[in-house]
Amino acid sequence: MAGRGHAHLRDDAVLTVLDLVVEFPGPRKSVVHAVSGVSLDLRRGETLGVVGESGCGKTTTARAIMRLEPVTSGTIQLDGMELSKLHGTDLRQARRSMQMIFQDPVSSLNPSRRVRDIVREGLSIWDVDIDDDVAERISTVLDAVGLGDEAVLERRPHEFSGGQCQRICIARALVMEPDVLLLDEPVSALDVSVQAQILNLLQQLKRQFGLTMLFVSHDLAVVKNISDRVMVMYLGTVCEVADSDRLYDSPTHPYTRALLASIPGDQLDLPPAEELISGELPSPIDPPSGCRFRTRCPMATEICATTMPELRPLPDDPTHVVACHHA
Amino acid sequence: MALVEPGPTGVKTGAEAVDAAESGSDPVMVETGRRLGLAFWLSLVWIGLIVVAAVFGDLLPIRDPEELGIRTREVERFEGPGRNAWFGGDGQGRDLFSRVVAGARPALVLGLSVTVLAATVGAAIGTTAGYLRGRVDAVVALLVDIALAFPGLVLLVAVRATYGNSMVVFIVLFTVTSIPAYARIVRGASFALSEREFVDAAESMGATNRRVLWNELAPNIAMPVASFAFIGFALVIVAEGGLAFVGLSLDELTWGQLISEGAGDIDRHGHVALIPATVMFLTILAFNLAGDQIRQLYSPREVATQRRLTTIGEHRPRVGDATLHVADLRTTLHTPNGEVTAVDGVTFDVAPGESLGVVGESGSGKTMILRSIVGAFSLADVTRSGTVDVTGVDMLRADDGVVRKTLGTRVGMVSQNPLSALNPVRRIGDQIVEPIVFHGVAAPGPARARARDLLRQVGIPAPDRRMREYPHQLSGGMRQRVTIAIALANEPDLLLADEPTTALDVTVQDQILRLLDEQRTRRKMAMVLVTHDLAVVRGFTDRVAIVYGGQIVEVGPTDKIFRSPRHRYTVALMKSMPDLALPSHSELAVIDGSPPSLLDPPSGCRFAARCDAADERCRTVAPELIGAATVDDFDRTAHAFRCHHPVPVTVGTGDR
Repeated sequence: MAGRGHAHLRDDAVLTVLDLVVEFPGPRKSVVHAVSGVSLDLRRGETLGVVGESGCGKTTTARAIMRLEPVTSGTIQLDGMELSKLHGTDLRQARRSMQMIFQDPVSSLNPSRRVRDIVREGLSIWDVDIDDDVAERISTVLDAVGLGDEAVLERRPHEFSGGQCQRICIARALVMEPDVLLLDEPVSALDVSVQAQILNLLQQLKRQFGLTMLFVSHDLAVVKNISDRVMVMYLGTVCEVADSDRLYDSPTHPYTRALLASIPGDQLDLPPAEELISGELPSPIDPPSGCRFRTRCPMATEICATTMPELRPLPDDPTHVVACHHA
Repeated sequence: MALVEPGPTGVKTGAEAVDAAESGSDPVMVETGRRLGLAFWLSLVWIGLIVVAAVFGDLLPIRDPEELGIRTREVERFEGPGRNAWFGGDGQGRDLFSRVVAGARPALVLGLSVTVLAATVGAAIGTTAGYLRGRVDAVVALLVDIALAFPGLVLLVAVRATYGNSMVVFIVLFTVTSIPAYARIVRGASFALSEREFVDAAESMGATNRRVLWNELAPNIAMPVASFAFIGFALVIVAEGGLAFVGLSLDELTWGQLISEGAGDIDRHGHVALIPATVMFLTILAFNLAGDQIRQLYSPREVATQRRLTTIGEHRPRVGDATLHVADLRTTLHTPNGEVTAVDGVTFDVAPGESLGVVGESGSGKTMILRSIVGAFSLADVTRSGTVDVTGVDMLRADDGVVRKTLGTRVGMVSQNPLSALNPVRRIGDQIVEPIVFHGVAAPGPARARARDLLRQVGIPAPDRRMREYPHQLSGGMRQRVTIAIALANEPDLLLADEPTTALDVTVQDQILRLLDEQRTRRKMAMVLVTHDLAVVRGFTDRVAIVYGGQIVEVGPTDKIFRSPRHRYTVALMKSMPDLALPSHSELAVIDGSPPSLLDPPSGCRFAARCDAADERCRTVAPELIGAATVDDFDRTAHAFRCHHPVPVTVGTGDR
C-alpha cells in the first residue's frame, strides 16, 4: 500500500514508524482495516499525543509498535533497528527498550504478586537483578513515582487505589530504562483529581529521566496538557499533526475541528459541532474510498471520494501537516 | 478486599464501599466472600480426623479389623453400636469401628494420588493451551472433548481384566479419566487471565512464554485448581464406592467395600451398611464444602447476601411545585465492617423544566443519591431516611405498587451503559412499546405509533426499520438514543440520567447531551444529570450540586458556581481538570490525600484533611450548608456551600 504522506517525519527521531498497516480477520472472511498506513516519529525526550475516537486505530497503533498486535505491513525503527520482522529472542530483546502503560491499572498488575516482585520482574527476566544495587534501583523508581514508603514493597495490588496502581505500573516500566514509553489511555480509568496527579507525575518524570513518550488518549484536553506534538487519527488514518498549542489554536482538518467543537463548554471559537460532523462512523471492514472522513464531512467533494489525501505541510508552518484536499 | 485496612498512604476508605455499590457490585458480598466460614473449619476438622485415621490407624489402641468375633468373643455378630464397640459389629463379629478406620487409608491414598497427579498434569496442559492458543489449543480442546466423551467404565473393566485390581492400577485409571476435567477448567481460567493487561506487560518486558506461564498465570490458577481438587477428591471417593457396590473395586478394605458387605442385611442390621455410608457421606461433604469455600476466596461474587430496604423517619411534604423534592435524605449501607452512610443529609429540589447537575468523583455518593431516589440497590442491606417526593408521591414510604407506578409513568431513567440497559434478544420497537402498554398509558396499536414517533424525536433515521432491529445492530450512540426514547415513552415529569455519556465518544456525547437538553426544554421535564465531568455540567445544566463524602458541599446556579466557586473542594476539582484554554504542559492542581472513610467519617469538615485552608475548627466542627437550604424551603437561586473558610468571591466578575 502506498504511503499516506511522510511530510511530518524528521531525520533525528529515535522511533520512526513508516506506513504501518494492521489488519485483522473479520467475520465471514472479511478484513478489519484497523490501521491503514500510519507514519509517525518521536524525537528523544519528546511526547507525541495520539488522539481520536473509538475505532480510529490509536490503541492498535501503540500495541503494534510494541508488537502486541500483528503488523500486516510497514516498518518500525527504533534507534535504526527494524522491529517489525523480529521474532523470538530478538523480539524479546527489542521489547526491553520500549515499555507500555495500559488503561486499566488494576488489571495491569498481577493480583497474586507483591509490589517488590512486580517492579523487579523486568530485571529478573534479564538477570540484571543479581547486582547488589537492585534494591536501590527498585526504591529509586518507586520514589520517583511517589511510592517511596518501604511498606509498599510487601503489599499486593488490591491494597492500592487505582491511581496508586498506575504509579506502580509506571515504576515497573521505568525500572527497565526504556527508550520509548507507550501509554495507552493511562488516565482514562482514573478520577479527575487522580488524573491530575498522574499527568503531573509523567511531566516530572519526563524532565527527570528525559522520557520519550507516545501518549494515546481520547481526551483532547488531557492530550493537549501532556504533549509536545499531537497527531489526530480517524478510522485508521492520520488526519493532522502539529505542535500541541498550534493544533488547538488553529485546527485545520475538518475532523479535528469537529472533535474540538464537540467538547462541552464553549472555550473554543468554532461553529457548533453539528455543523462540522454528521452521520455515523463507517465500518472499518468497508471503509470509504478516498478520504475516510468524507462521508461525514461538510466540505467533501468529488475528489475526496476518489483520491486519498496525503499529509502536506501548511505554508505558514511546515511542522503542521494536514491530510485534506480542502483545508 | 480490605475495606478498613489503610494502605501505606491510607488508601482504602468507606468510599470504596460506596464505589462498589455504585458500580453495581456489592460491598457486602465482597466482604463476606473473603472469609472462610465455620463450615470450612468444621470440614477441615473432619478431614483432619480422616487423615489421622489413615496415617496412624495401625498404632491406635483398637481391635484388629479382620479379627473375627467368633474367635475372640469380644464382639457379637451384628452387635449394635455401644460402649463395647462404638460402631457395633458386622456379620462376622468384626469391630466395625476398626474397619471404618482401616478404610480411611485406601480412600486417602487413592484420592490424594489421583487428585495431585490429575491436577498437576491437567493444570499444565490447560495453562499451556489457554495461553498459547491457536493450534495447540485447538488440539488440546479436541482431545479433552474426546476424553470426556469416552466411557470410563468400559476402560475400567478392560484394564481391570488385564492388569488386576491393585491400588496402582486404580490410581492410574482414575488419574487418566480425571485429567480432562482439570485441563478444561484451567484452560478456561488461563484464557481469561491471558487477556489481562499484566500478561501484556510481562511480554513487553521480554518475558519468555515459560516465564509468563509460571510467574503470571500459575499463581492465579492455583486457587481455582485447589478448589476443584477438593471436589475432585470427593468425586474419586464416590466413584470408588460405586464400583465397590457392583464388585469392581480395589482389592483392599475400602468404605465402598464395607457398604457393599453390609448392604445384604440392611433391613435387619442397618448399622453395618449405614455407618460406613455416613462416614463416606461426611467425608465427601467435607471435601465439597472446603472446595466451595476456597472458590469464594477468589470469586466472592457468588455469595449472595440478604437484600433488604428499610425506611425510617418522617416524610415532610414538599413545599411549592418542585417535581423532585429531596430533604435530609440519608442512605446507610449495612456492611460487615460497619455502617457506611453513603448519602448523608442531602437536600435539593428540581422544578419542571429545570436541570440539576450532580457532580462528584467515584465513591462520593453521587450515584447513590439517584439510587436512593428510585430505591434500586443491588443486593445490599440499606436503610433510607428523610424525604424523596416525586410529583407529590412519598417515594420512601408509599406502597410498592404506587412507587412502581410513579417510577413507570412519572420518571424516566437513562444509564451509563445502553447495552446493558437494553434487552439483547428483544426488538427495539417492543422494548419501547412495553412500558407504555404495561402501565396502561396506551393500547398496543397507538403505542407502536408513539414508539415510532419517539424514535424520530430522538434522531433515529428510518424508525420503521429500526423498530424491527435488535440492540446489537446499532452503534453505541444510537443505542443511547433508544434508551432515551424508552425513558421518554410515558411522558415523564422527571428524567434521571446517570453518566449518560461517559461510555460514548466526544462527538456522540455532544449529540446526546443536545438531545437531552432539547427534550427537557420541550417537555418541561425536570432533569437530574449525574456525572463526574464538570465540562458536561457546565454546558447543560441550570444548577449544580457538588458532592463529596456523601454530602452536598456546594450547590447553586451553574454560571455562578463556575464563575465564582466558593467551596475549596470545588475549586480544587476545577483546577485539577486539564483546560483546553491553557497552554500545554500547564501544571495541574493536585488534591493530596484521599477521600474520607464513610465508615467512620471525620467529625469536622469532610474535606479538612485535604484542604490547604483547614484549621482546628474545620477538623472539629462540621460546617453547615450555608446560604440556601433549610429542610422545608429550598431557595433555588441561592448559592450555598459547606465551608468555614470559603474562597472569596472573584473580584470583578460579579456583574458579568
